[in-house]
Order: sequence, then C-alpha cells, then structure tokens
Amino acid sequence: MIDLTSLTSAVGELDEKKVMSMLQEFVAGAPETEEAAQAITACQKGMEKVGQRFETGEYFVGDLIFAGELLTEAMEVLKPIIGSAARQKVGKIVLGTVQGDLHNIGKNIFKSMAEAAGFTVYDLGINVSPEAFLDKIKEVQPDILGLSGVLTMAVESMKKTVDLVKEAGLREHIKITIGGACASYEAMQVSGADAWSTNAAETVNVCLGWVGQHQE
Amino acid sequence: MKNMEGSSYNDKLDRLDRCAGLKKVDRVPIGAATLYFPAKYSHISYEDMYYDQEKYKNASVRFAKDFNWDAACMLRTFETVTLGLSLAGTDPQNAVNTAVASVLGGGFAHDILKDNYSSHPGREIPSDTESQFKIKNPVMTSEEYDEFIDDPFGFLNRKVVPRVYGALEEPGSSQSICALMKFGMKLGTALDDLQVFTQEMKTADCPPWYMAICPNPLDVLGAFLRDFDKVILDIHRVPDKVHKACEALLPILLAVGKATGEISYQLTGSRRVFFPVWYNSFLSEKQYREFHWPYLKYLCEELIKAGYTPLLSLQGTYDHLLETLLELPAGKAIAWFDRTDPVKARDIIGDHMCIAGGISPSLLIGGSVQEIDLQVKKLLTEMKKAAGFIFTLPFNAIGPAKIENVLAMTEAVHRYGGYTQP
Repeated sequence: MIDLTSLTSAVGELDEKKVMSMLQEFVAGAPETEEAAQAITACQKGMEKVGQRFETGEYFVGDLIFAGELLTEAMEVLKPIIGSAARQKVGKIVLGTVQGDLHNIGKNIFKSMAEAAGFTVYDLGINVSPEAFLDKIKEVQPDILGLSGVLTMAVESMKKTVDLVKEAGLREHIKITIGGACASYEAMQVSGADAWSTNAAETVNVCLGWVGQHQE
Repeated sequence: MKNMEGSSYNDKLDRLDRCAGLKKVDRVPIGAATLYFPAKYSHISYEDMYYDQEKYKNASVRFAKDFNWDAACMLRTFETVTLGLSLAGTDPQNAVNTAVASVLGGGFAHDILKDNYSSHPGREIPSDTESQFKIKNPVMTSEEYDEFIDDPFGFLNRKVVPRVYGALEEPGSSQSICALMKFGMKLGTALDDLQVFTQEMKTADCPPWYMAICPNPLDVLGAFLRDFDKVILDIHRVPDKVHKACEALLPILLAVGKATGEISYQLTGSRRVFFPVWYNSFLSEKQYREFHWPYLKYLCEELIKAGYTPLLSLQGTYDHLLETLLELPAGKAIAWFDRTDPVKARDIIGDHMCIAGGISPSLLIGGSVQEIDLQVKKLLTEMKKAAGFIFTLPFNAIGPAKIENVLAMTEAVHRYGGYTQP
C-alpha cells in the first residue's frame, strides 16, 4: 500500500518526481479500486496544502498552475484503476470564459482547484455565449455559475449572462461568481454577480461555503 | 472641455519627462493606452481601428483634440514580433520594421501572414470585439530549448516562423514567397502612414504615451513561443534551460528596445519605451527574482544608459515585488500599475520612481459622473504626495466606458491635479 501521508506531503511540496514515482510504483502493484480512491483523496489533501501555502504567500499563482498539472498527471495514472467508480462530490459548477474573451489561464486554475476540492466542473471553454451558459445550466442544474474574463469588455458579457439567467427565472437557484483580471467590486455590481475575486483559491473557499462545505 | 488649460505638444512632452525625472510640474499629467475608446467616441467599429487607416487616424486625432490628454497611445498588436526577431541576425533594420509592422500598422500583417497569435475584430471575432493576442498552440516544445539556445535565429527561422505563420508554413513555396512579397509591399505603405499619423497627432498636441517597445525574455518565451502556462511548468521542470533561453534572447530584445526607442524619439520626441511585463502576477518573489527580474533590470539599465525612459507596464499584481523597483536608478523610469495599490506603491517607491496609475475601468463603464469625480479626487489627494505621478489607466481597458465618465475623469484630473507652487 502506498504511504498516503507521504503522497499528500509530496503533492503539497509540488515534488513532481516523487509523486509520479510513488504512483507508478503503486499502480504496478495492481491495487484495489478502494486503495486507488484513497490515493486520490491523499492527492486532494495535498492540493489543500497547496491552497494553504498559497494563502500564506509561500506559493504564488504559477504554483497553482503547476499544482493543477500535477493533479492531472496523478489522475491519469490512477484513472485506469479507479475507472468510473463514484467519488463523493460536494457540488456542481458551470464554468467558462464569457463571450468575446479568449483567455483561459485563470479559468483553468480555478477549475483544477475546484475539482480538487470535490466539485464537478462543467467547463464550457472560452468565448462562451450567454445562451450556451443558460443551456448548460438548464441541463445540469449547477449550484454555482463561474464567469471568467480578462478584458474590461468581459464585464458586459458577464452582465448579459447574469441577465439571461434572471430572465429564465433561474437566478434564485444559483450562486454566481466572477473572476479574472476584469473582476472587481464594481464589476460584480455592474454584472449582478454574488461574488468576485482575482484569486482562484479564495473563490474555491467561497464556493465551498455556498454548498455548505468548509476547508479544514 | 471645461476647466482645462491648453498645453502645447512640447509642454506636454516636458511635463511627462519632468514627472519621470521626479521634478516639479504644474499638475498631474494624464496619459493612457486607449485604442478602443476613440472608436466608440467616433462611432466606428473596432475592426476599423485595425483595418481602415483613415478612420483609425481620424478617430485618434478627434479623441486627442477633444480630450486634451498629455499623452495617448492607440497602438495595435504584436503578431509580427516573432518574424521580426527571426530576421534580427541578418538585417536589424528590416527586423525592427517587421517587428513593429502589426503594432504600428494594424491588421494587414495578420491577414497576409495568417499568424496563430491574434484574433482580430472582423476576422476571427465580431467587429465590435477587442483583438486578443494569445498563442493558440505552443510553437516550441520543452525538448527544443537546447536547439533554440544553440542557435536562436536559426531555430526561429527554421522551426518557429513556419509554425506561427500559416502563410509561411512551407519555406520556399510559392505561397510563402507571395505572402512575404505582399507583406513587404504593404509594410512600406504602413511606415508612410505612420509618419502621417504621428504628424497629425503632433498637430493635435498629443504626444504618444509610448511608441517604442522593449519585450523581456521570460514574457517573450511565454507569449510568443511556449504559451503562458507552459513556461510556468518549465520553470519547475527545466529551470536551467529557461535561464539559458532568456540569456539567448537578452541581446536581441535589447536591440529591439534601442531601435524602437530611436524611431520613437525621431518621430515624436518621446524617449519612453514600453516594457510590457506579465509574469509578475504569476511568480512568487523568489521565482520572480530568479527568472524574471534580472533580465528585466538589465534591459532597463541598458535603455536608461542609452538615454531612454523605461515605461514599465507591470500588468496584474506587483504588490509583492515593489521593492525590486528600488534597484533601478532613481528618477529614470516609470512604474505603470493596473491592479497594484498605487498608495502602497507610493509608500515604498514614491520617492524613487514616478508612478502611473488610475481608477478602475469598471467604474468608467458602470459608475456615475459623481463617483468618478470623487474617486479621482481621492486618488490624486494621495498620489500627489509622491515625487512623481501620472494619471493613467490599465492597458486598452476602457473601450466600453461611458463617454461622459471619461470626460468627467479627464476634467477631474485637471481640477484636482494641480500642484501648489511655492
């Protein structure tokens, strides 16, 4: 059995070589599905440590990008073992960069961290129209809508998206957060969102609060 | 406009230069990069700002006359920089003209060369949407660092240029030759247009916020070669190669800074050189001091020695890195912030370096005239305590702003920006 504490620690320290060698050795031993699920949980706890180090300023945004990559690599190794076995989910988020904006780095950081925190994230990509957001909201009935943007003009697209959700009568059922370089208190007010941040880790904590979960 | 004195072109140049040098001025100057707001003001599309030189020029001049800023910049985007860099070892003058073709000449190069960087209004995106510069696929793999480091120009020519520009994907093909010929013919016209444009902006008493550009190694790696997030992974996985690639780029980029600085000075009288800086928002202080700052600092110091004024566009967050700026010579550069708290910056660098900052673009889009007036007054009350302050806005960020709000902001800078004379 893999040393789960060491795995958590290696993820938290962003020690890619150690994480990958531990997981490859683990998988070579043909573990049970339950053991693989424990390894995933250990990786997620490692991501929590990354988030904590980010909050203290030890890690910066680039480290979150690397952590997201590390978690993706880890999951790719473990997926053949875990297959489609159900993992406990804390909530659903529909996410995308709003219409007219093609940037995706911040959105992708948030996606990695939200998935690591247990959310199912439906990432619609970049340049997403208000109608496409609404269609996905109707389809999957998420708890949260995450709108990302870098350009100042993205604020207008965020507003249009929020307005369309309102017109469809779904606003009361969903929390909306905006993020990215264009996000600000003023942008939140203009767009009609519930929260704003330029900090992915902070946004994940807000989302956890919205679905009744809190980071340890 | 009300409450605004009319300064001459040279008065405005002098006001900005004195600010950068931390010398006394009569009032806080206002200047910004604002390609899209003049389009809104003149009721033309963003597509026109890229593809109709006459409308672009007229909208820029009309904005310059009506708003009476101390400086403005309506430069466009960067898709020809890579092609220019690839020529720098062979023909530096041609390389510079090529590199600035899209920045100064608009969208023609994008149409001819079919680069995989830009999405332009009226082309890949609607005509009223802002152009966006983002590498669509990395044009250099992490395994190719050594090849780039060993022979930067050869690698750029053989590998990168065919990958970046669809029209040049088969070097030596008739398609490729025709594209280069078309580009060359249009480049001549674009450089002529530039002369006319700068002359008309002079007549409108509007110096450029900047015309010259000095890219830095790490941002070039991210924006033009590897893609932004890939460089972050490289810093963790192949740090030595990132350093060596930055070292290989350094002399080339210094030459770009000096050459465009000279063009700017000859055409406009401005010695400011734009330094776009992006990775600061992504790196911890330790990473920044190792992978970014040494190269940026070297470029700044060399440009300063050559008589230019680095205009450091520190985009995103710079709060955790402010002390690095104290390592530059005092009164020789401008720190232009967008998300960094200017008051915090003043407390750390305010006696050492001119600060450029302003109010939130969101306020200009959604706020009221009264709110704008209040916010500008509040900011200026604080920032006039700095040794040098220029009122500006984030890079090309006010396209959708309300016209009355931009007017109110401008008037407020004139109203509250005066310094008490002894």
